[in-house]
Amino acid sequence: MDPFSAEGELLNIHNAFHSGQYQEVIDFETAALSPENQLPARVLKLRAQISLGQTDEVLAAVSTEEDTPDLAAVKALALQVTGKADDALQLAQDLAENYPENATVEVLAATVLQAQEQSEEALSLLSKHQGNLEAVALIVQIHLQQNRTDLALKEVQAAKRWAQDSLLVNLAESWLGLRVGGEQYQSAFYVYEELASAPSSSAALSIVGQAVAEIHLGRLPEAEAALSAAMEKYPEDAELIANTIVLNVLSGKPTEDLESRLQQAQPSHALLTDIEEKSALFDTAAAKYAPKVSS
Amino acid sequence: MQSSPTMLTKFESKSSRAKGIAFHPTRPWILVSLHSSTIQLWDYRMGTLIDRFEEHDGPVRGVDFHPTQPLFVSGGDDYKIKVWNYQTRRCLFTLNGHLDYVRTVFFHPELPWILSASDDQTIRIWNWQNRSLICTMTGHNHYVMCAQFHPTEDLIASASLDQSVRIWDISGLRKKHSAPTSISFEDQMARANPNQADMFGNTDAIVKFVLEGHDRGVNWVSFHPTLPLIVSAGDDRLIKLWRMSETKAWEVDTCRGHFQNASAALFHPHQDLILSVGEDKTIRVWDLNKRTSVQSFKRDVDRFWVVAAHPKINLFAAGHDTGVMVFKLERERPASAVYQNQLFYITKEKHVKSYDFAKNVESPPMLSLRKLGSPWVPPRTVSYNPAERAILVTSPADSGTYELIHLPRDATGAVEPTDVKRGQATSAVFVARNRFAVFNPSTQQVDIKDLSNSTTKTIKPPAGTTDIYFGGTGCLLFITPTTVVLFDIQQKKQLAEVTVSGVKYVVWSNDGLYCALLSKHNVTIVTKTLEQVSTLHETIRIKSATWDDAGVLIYSTLNHVKYSLLNGDNGIIRTLDQTVYLVRVKGRSVYCLDRNAQPRVLEIDPTEYRFKLALVKRNYDEMLQIIKTSSLVGQSIISYLQKKGYPEIALQFVQDPQTRFDLALECGNLEVATEMARELDRPNFWNRLGAEALAHGNHQTVEMTYQKQRNFDKLSFLYLATGDQEKLSRMAKIAEHRGDFTSRFQNAIYRGDVEDRIQMFKEVDQYPLAYLTAKSNGLIEEAESILEACGLTEDQISLPSLQQPLNVPHPIVPTFKSKWPVKAAGHSSFEKALLGEVGAADEEDAGDAYEFDEAEPEAVLAKDTLEDEEEDASGWDMGDDINVEEDVEFVNVESTETGAGSSEADLWARNSPLAADHVAAGSFDTAMQLLNRQVGAVQFAPLKDRFLEVFKASKTYLPASTGLPPLVNYVRRTTEETDSRKVLPIIPRDLEQIASVELQEGYNAMRANKLEDGVKIFKKILHTLLVNTVSSEADVEQAKKIISTAREYILAMSIELERRTIATDSEEGLKRSLELSAYFTIPKLEVAHRQLALMAAMKFSFANKNYNSALGFANRMLANGGSAKLLEQARKIKAQCERNPSDAIDIEFDQFAEFDICAASYTPIFSGSPCVTDPFTGAKYHEQYKGSVCRVSDVTEIGAPASGLRLFVPGQY
Repeated sequence: MDPFSAEGELLNIHNAFHSGQYQEVIDFETAALSPENQLPARVLKLRAQISLGQTDEVLAAVSTEEDTPDLAAVKALALQVTGKADDALQLAQDLAENYPENATVEVLAATVLQAQEQSEEALSLLSKHQGNLEAVALIVQIHLQQNRTDLALKEVQAAKRWAQDSLLVNLAESWLGLRVGGEQYQSAFYVYEELASAPSSSAALSIVGQAVAEIHLGRLPEAEAALSAAMEKYPEDAELIANTIVLNVLSGKPTEDLESRLQQAQPSHALLTDIEEKSALFDTAAAKYAPKVSS
Repeated sequence: MQSSPTMLTKFESKSSRAKGIAFHPTRPWILVSLHSSTIQLWDYRMGTLIDRFEEHDGPVRGVDFHPTQPLFVSGGDDYKIKVWNYQTRRCLFTLNGHLDYVRTVFFHPELPWILSASDDQTIRIWNWQNRSLICTMTGHNHYVMCAQFHPTEDLIASASLDQSVRIWDISGLRKKHSAPTSISFEDQMARANPNQADMFGNTDAIVKFVLEGHDRGVNWVSFHPTLPLIVSAGDDRLIKLWRMSETKAWEVDTCRGHFQNASAALFHPHQDLILSVGEDKTIRVWDLNKRTSVQSFKRDVDRFWVVAAHPKINLFAAGHDTGVMVFKLERERPASAVYQNQLFYITKEKHVKSYDFAKNVESPPMLSLRKLGSPWVPPRTVSYNPAERAILVTSPADSGTYELIHLPRDATGAVEPTDVKRGQATSAVFVARNRFAVFNPSTQQVDIKDLSNSTTKTIKPPAGTTDIYFGGTGCLLFITPTTVVLFDIQQKKQLAEVTVSGVKYVVWSNDGLYCALLSKHNVTIVTKTLEQVSTLHETIRIKSATWDDAGVLIYSTLNHVKYSLLNGDNGIIRTLDQTVYLVRVKGRSVYCLDRNAQPRVLEIDPTEYRFKLALVKRNYDEMLQIIKTSSLVGQSIISYLQKKGYPEIALQFVQDPQTRFDLALECGNLEVATEMARELDRPNFWNRLGAEALAHGNHQTVEMTYQKQRNFDKLSFLYLATGDQEKLSRMAKIAEHRGDFTSRFQNAIYRGDVEDRIQMFKEVDQYPLAYLTAKSNGLIEEAESILEACGLTEDQISLPSLQQPLNVPHPIVPTFKSKWPVKAAGHSSFEKALLGEVGAADEEDAGDAYEFDEAEPEAVLAKDTLEDEEEDASGWDMGDDINVEEDVEFVNVESTETGAGSSEADLWARNSPLAADHVAAGSFDTAMQLLNRQVGAVQFAPLKDRFLEVFKASKTYLPASTGLPPLVNYVRRTTEETDSRKVLPIIPRDLEQIASVELQEGYNAMRANKLEDGVKIFKKILHTLLVNTVSSEADVEQAKKIISTAREYILAMSIELERRTIATDSEEGLKRSLELSAYFTIPKLEVAHRQLALMAAMKFSFANKNYNSALGFANRMLANGGSAKLLEQARKIKAQCERNPSDAIDIEFDQFAEFDICAASYTPIFSGSPCVTDPFTGAKYHEQYKGSVCRVSDVTEIGAPASGLRLFVPGQY
């Protein structure tokens, strides 16, 4: 049975995971689930732990069960997140070769591959999926990261035909919408707003999404309201801080404090590395110019 | 046809059979005459029996209210017609004459007549003013069951069991009675004997038409209010419609449906409908034009006997075997939905319209819903979806239908909608952007549907659910008769439940945190998770509610607009003359729909609830504001404040000294209490004040109150307790003076003054006590002398054994010098707010730090100053040198990432020739190339912050799949654009912000004499503008002006800063100083600021005896005008300088020559002498500075070839 269908037992835990409510996923009561759903639920819980940074616990939990491809894939992801990139890549490539039909392997191994910029390999692994919405979402994301909006659009439209109601498809469509812009900003905003305002799906993830959509729509005060409320609730969330920095710059406010907070929360964040890189670029570029007469 | 849900019962009474009914024309009253001989007067709105009238003998069949007087008439089986006054609750008189049961009685709409129909086969007209019978109409040959006046014409219709309906012309009767001044003898005779006259050729009332068609007896007949139509109801179970002209009358049609005798029928006062009732226990509604049944209502056991319509409002009443019911045919609540500033509603014509709250305008009709439901049933609800611009309309017709319709983009008229999705349901609401829920009570099932109307999910609501409402995103509220349940659609899970019975409407607050559940008589406020916050009860029916932005619920009852705070405090805001349905409240305006579905705006005074809200939230500033600006007084608010425990705030409202005194005591504000006590000056108040002050330990006040009360004992004791010896001895003196020995004795004890005590005893001849006192205190001599005076010796006295005398202990600390340390009474936070405000005002005054501070900064750009400068800005010409621009288009942008597409940042750089856009794209080197060509920028370091700022603002980070970095999206200033060849980045700090914020900061720095800061601010403005974009040619002009303004200020401030570094002790230094102070006046600052420069220069020159220069500055100041204080000084100096217009030190400054100041050397560049300009700022320099970096901008190269800064590309936006 399709685990994403509205009647599936796993619907709630899946939705909680994809709306970023990781603690709820970990706390999810799984004892009552049918035996065939126990493993997927466990994988989700482990992934939620990884998302919360509890990688050591995850590695310890799966260390004895690496024969199960699903758990091995979880291990690969955990390794990737802890920074053991080579081990992760090795494991992911093995898994991709041996268990290309396993849904968990597809998604997690592809995540590892993409994280190491092996986009082609990741896409070819994902292309084998059989109605796996997570794979679809990942494909969309990879296309977007490659700036192939056209391919992402095709993927979303295809998925909408068979899974219109799914949260993941809605999310993937919003990612795309925020790239395309225009009226789609508003649609993306509605999706995130809906998630952020419902108690059963509100999380840092959805609030960030809502605020980002609002920034793109040029509605800075609303974005500020959403972000500052969320900052109190999730003071450590790197994306929250990063987007607040962007917002503050746009509305002409100081950002130094936030930047140092981001530095603490996630020193490798794209915003910081980009700025660093551009700062160096600036210095080299500026060095090419000098006044004729130095004063 | 089944019973229709749209028949709305508003009131029901239980009694014996109701035969006659009358509505009061203005009040919510109904008169019911019963088969049991009683007449009841009910208030159908409150549901209470107001009065009973019991004088008839046997059944009372007819009643009627007088249209204007406090009268009603009744007729019964005792053959009597009685006229009553319902105010005095008495029967005024009885009209006798009929010879059998009286069936109906009616007042004439204008004339003082009563019309009665009787089983004696006559119809009679009575004058109730002179209580006489004026006309008897004979002709029917069976019981006359009903007779009614025509509402406007001189006609009467009667119905009889002889199977006929007759129309009578009574114009003759009116003529006879309309000219009472010329009553002839015959008339008087005729009136004296009306019955006789009637029998023979009387023309007072003649039969005009006889309508035959019923084949059984006719029970009722009614005229149409405006048309020449008549309706009758008969025992043949038919309702017949008749039409008449001047000359004839004929049967139009028959309404068939009653399956027992039809008892009564009438026309709907406003709509083309007929209502009829019958012994088949039904009320039936017929379409007047098609004569088809529209709806029917059936009672289980009660036969209906009579029906009546309210003359004005949409209400009917029907009498049956066990009482009476008051009902409406349709809901009068217009269906409406609010989204942001828009109200969508459905008019009486079933047109969808919108109304803009902000602009206060109605749109033309957008859609016609003529085909929705049945023609006589208005839509019940409408739900609006902003994302899809669609509406969901439900109609109760055909046991509930809904339609999903997309609104047209523009309202062009009442077009029929295309592409309508419909289905069966009683309720339908949008629950998400692309989902709606419909509820079907017959199957007890809620379907979640997508926009193509296909069901995606089915939910089983709790048993007995009657309605559903939106429950916050992704949630639904199920309404059952006793509870409200919050249900998460996604999780299919019940989240919360609250027990509230009979909820009819749900109103969410604007922030979605609270929700008001309205039932008939209760408002329950709950949180979004259904935790009950407060509840309140109303005796009058609650109609609607809406939330204020501040979280106050404004609701309407039938006749009031009221408010309720979250804590349940409520009150009346205003009364209503007609029922309205609130949809929105904003400031002082309440927006509502009336029963004709017209938007209306009611003015309200929100002061009271705002004040209470501020009180609850402890927002003292706002309370203060309200107290100051409005006339919020009155007993209610004071008692409210007192009740809520805020006497100190209530104190602010009260003038009456006694109340003020009470409040002051309550809040422990002794100052005010003392003040009030002084004003009142009555012992009672002093007494209470003293007690309170004592409790506070404020003994000064206690002392004063005791003094006022002449309470010497207590005063003495107070002094004792506080250790105030001095005053204690004064008390003793006073006591002595008053001759009050008890008091004196007491004081003496308090003071430990033995001599005084002895003295006093002696004075009152208490020698034994005096002796004893002296003896015990060891005053032997004194004791001796007392003995001597008494003529006794020591052995004649037997003394008890003496011990050490006791002394009153004295307080160690001189407490009287200050108050006892007690809890700080007095200033509440509210009063602090009062004080705080005063403080803030002071600060404002002190804000101006500049030495001569009268200058008022002008708002934005001083226009005249800037216009003068345009010629100077020649280096900043946008038009010329197109070649360089052409190059710009070809600035090479390397595309990254082969295989993948190019990122939007790359597109930006391709799409725009503006430096700022390249910066946002992260293409710093091309941006630098552009700036170098446009304005000769060579030193980029000062721009680094700006570059990174623009770059930082260009991207957002959207977390997507876990384990991967966030998706990067690029923030556009072209938010509407999706064409990748036209998208452009957002640039922070636009022109508007520079002009309204940063420029003002610069001016403030100038005014506050913070010149170093000022230079920095203005340089930052230049840098911000250098890397920026604007949206129109006009903005380009404004940007140019700001650049020149910044240049002038930087130049001026730099000159002045330079001057401050030069020591004036040497002659050379002094000369240079004087020159610089003169040059300071040259840059084109705003007038107010130039006055500051001139003032400084003038004083400096004057002090150094350069009277000629000072005179020049003074003249320029006077020419500029402005603050009187400055001009006064200028005038004085001018007067002094004119006596000796010469300079002690010769300086290089010619006040009459035209010249610029070199921004590097701060020396004059006289016109004609060679100079170079900076291509960006337009600052002028002596030729030797060519090629170096501009001192004003710090970025650009002086005299570099440049095409001019580009901030705007036509067609880009």
